[in-house]
Order: sequence, then structure tokens, then C-alpha cells
Amino acid sequence: MKLNERSVAHYALSDAPADLTGFLRTWAGAASSPGPSGAGRRCWFVLKGNLLFSFESPEGRAPLSLVVLEGCTVELAEAPEPEEFAFAIRFAAPGVRPHLLAADGPAAQEAWVKALSRASFSYMRLVVRELESQLRDARLSLALQRRASWRTPSRRKPPALDQRPVGLDNGHGSSRDCSPTGLMEWDLQGTPSLGLGRGQSPVSPETSCFSTLHDWYGQEIVALRQGWLQRAQARQQLQEHHRP
Amino acid sequence: MRYNEKELRALSRQPAELAAELGMRGPKKGSVLKRRLLKLVANFLFYFRTDEAETAPCVLPQPVGALLLERCVVSQEEACSFSLSFVEDMDRKYVFQCDSERQCLEWTGALRRASYEVMRRSLVFYRDEILKMTGKDPLEQLGISEEARFQLSAIKA
Repeated sequence: MKLNERSVAHYALSDAPADLTGFLRTWAGAASSPGPSGAGRRCWFVLKGNLLFSFESPEGRAPLSLVVLEGCTVELAEAPEPEEFAFAIRFAAPGVRPHLLAADGPAAQEAWVKALSRASFSYMRLVVRELESQLRDARLSLALQRRASWRTPSRRKPPALDQRPVGLDNGHGSSRDCSPTGLMEWDLQGTPSLGLGRGQSPVSPETSCFSTLHDWYGQEIVALRQGWLQRAQARQQLQEHHRP
Repeated sequence: MRYNEKELRALSRQPAELAAELGMRGPKKGSVLKRRLLKLVANFLFYFRTDEAETAPCVLPQPVGALLLERCVVSQEEACSFSLSFVEDMDRKYVFQCDSERQCLEWTGALRRASYEVMRRSLVFYRDEILKMTGKDPLEQLGISEEARFQLSAIKA
């Protein structure tokens, strides 16, 4: 099976932030011995997102190994050397041996177990989606507060929130998809639809482009406001109707 | 660089964010467009042969390859095709042919989101926005505000 190894190695050495680094003892890669035994080998480990790399030393320019931390569990384990603070990365897949690693002390052991067990992409995505919905709620309540303070409802732009068009294409700078056209259309048309026709799901809009996000939340607020206005008008008509 | 193929193969069998048969052409000179089953799982794009189900129906399909989607650039090529290249060598391009413009948009959108680094940046942005609007740190409420992977300082400007 092929892997874009050059890109993986490039990412390992890139300025993308490391979540944890340190020396660990490893018993992997000893092809001559069937199981972990002896002192193992001390390597420099770098955790970046859901990828765990090992290097000869902190100055190493080529990763020795890669473990993709998806579908695995991390638990405390016993090392062949009793004084080691060991833990294992286990995969549910059949025939896959666990990766046995050991830290120098209990604090490092705890830090590694914690960081590795929360390294999966799905965990990150879960937290992102939770914050996405919290931000949506916060923006709605802010919009409603402002609504309450407007005496005459008019078609105004949603509150201009601080906006930082970062323009990222998987971590690589590019502004190609961050044109504010969506926002301009919105201004001209006045009545935006909740159309998410550009391949965007309501749960996770195009997160690589903040101006799109901004536009997207703005549309939602306006749609909500219109619904509220219509209901208020209907209520008023109803009251007039019942007036003797 | 050593890695366990079995682990990657297991990942390729996880539920996909997006999966379809597309035309795919590798970056090597003289590569031709081949029909491949593409599966997007986490930040990896797996590609499989499409004729395997007929030739060996009892064997679990094995991916031909996997692409890690960090530091990659997704570009629209023609109306129904897009390319994938990686920052260390932008001339090496993987080209994909879709059946429709709609499918092409669906794939380019999903691939651009399928990066841990993009997720992390979104998270930091949301956290900052919520903090500014409500005065409360949403991660503190979740009890994970101290985690290194969620820190604002982790991202270089």
C-alpha cells in the first residue's frame, strides 16, 4: 500500500504545532526479537494532531516511525524493565501488535496517556462541532437582544463582528476561496435564503474560510429575524381582529 | 519511515465521510486516468481498485494507497475535475475526475475540511469568538481548557 511519505515527513518537520514532545523508550521495530524484551530503545517522540512520530533525537531530520492514532486505545502497561513507566497503544484490528512505550517518570507517563488518548480526528471534530453550535447560539441571542432594542425594525446588516479572513487551504495560505462575494450578494438581495448550495452542511460550514462562516451565520440571523417579524405582524393582526 | 500497514488498512475500513468512484491520475509522468474507489476517512484519502469486488469477492478490499491530507492544496481544474498537491512539491499533482460539477464541489469542500490543522484553527477561532461574546471560555465549561492542542498560543500567526 502506498502512502505519500514525503508529505508525511514534511508535515512531521513543519511548523505545525506539536501537542507533546519528549523522550520515550520503545520496543517496536526490533524485528529480530518476537516480543518486547530488554531495555528497548530511547527515541524522541513528537505528537502532531493524530500522528505520532519518532525521531533519532530532537534534531533528527527524518522520522523513524509513524503511528496514526485512530481507532486505538491507550492504557497503562507493564514494561520488561520494572522501573519504567510504560503504556501501550492498542488497535482493535486483528493481528496488530500493541505499541509499547515507556516514559521516564509518572508525570510524563500521565501526560502522554492523556494526550494520546485524545489525539483522534473524531475527538477534535466533536469539540469543533460543539463550539460551532455554542457560537451559533451566542450569536442568535446577541441578535435577539439587539432586535429588542430596535424601535423600528429595518433591514440592517447583522452586527459586524470582528472578522479575520485567514484564507487557509489545509494549512497553506491561499485566498482563492475567501472572496466576499457571498456577503455582497446578501447586501444586494436583502432577502437571503438559507440556501447552503455551495456544498456546505449546516453542521460544519466551510470552516477554512471565516468570511463564508460570517456570511453563513449572518444569513441565519436575518432569516430568524424575518420569521419573528412575520409572527409579530400576525399577532398584531389577530389582536386587531379581536378588538371590539 | 516505519509504519504498520495493517493499522492503515483498518482505518480505511472505518465509515467514510465521503466515498465515490472517481477517475484518478497519479503525479508520475505518463500516468493515466484510472477508475478508483475513493474513501475519505479522518484526514486520510484512501483509494481502492474498483474491479476487486468481482475478481476476489471473499477478500476484504485492500487500498492501493493513502494520502495524508495535511498541508495540501485542493484546486478546481476544469468544471468536473480537481487536483490535490502538497506544499513540499506543488508540481506533483493528483488529478481527480468527477461525474458532475456538483460532485466536484462536494469533494473539494470535504477535502479542504479534512485536515487536523484546519480543524484546530477553526476551534481556536470559535473559542476566541465565544470568549469575546459571552466572556466565558467554552472549553473551561467542558473541562478541557488546559489541553495543549486547544491553546491559542499553539498557532503561529
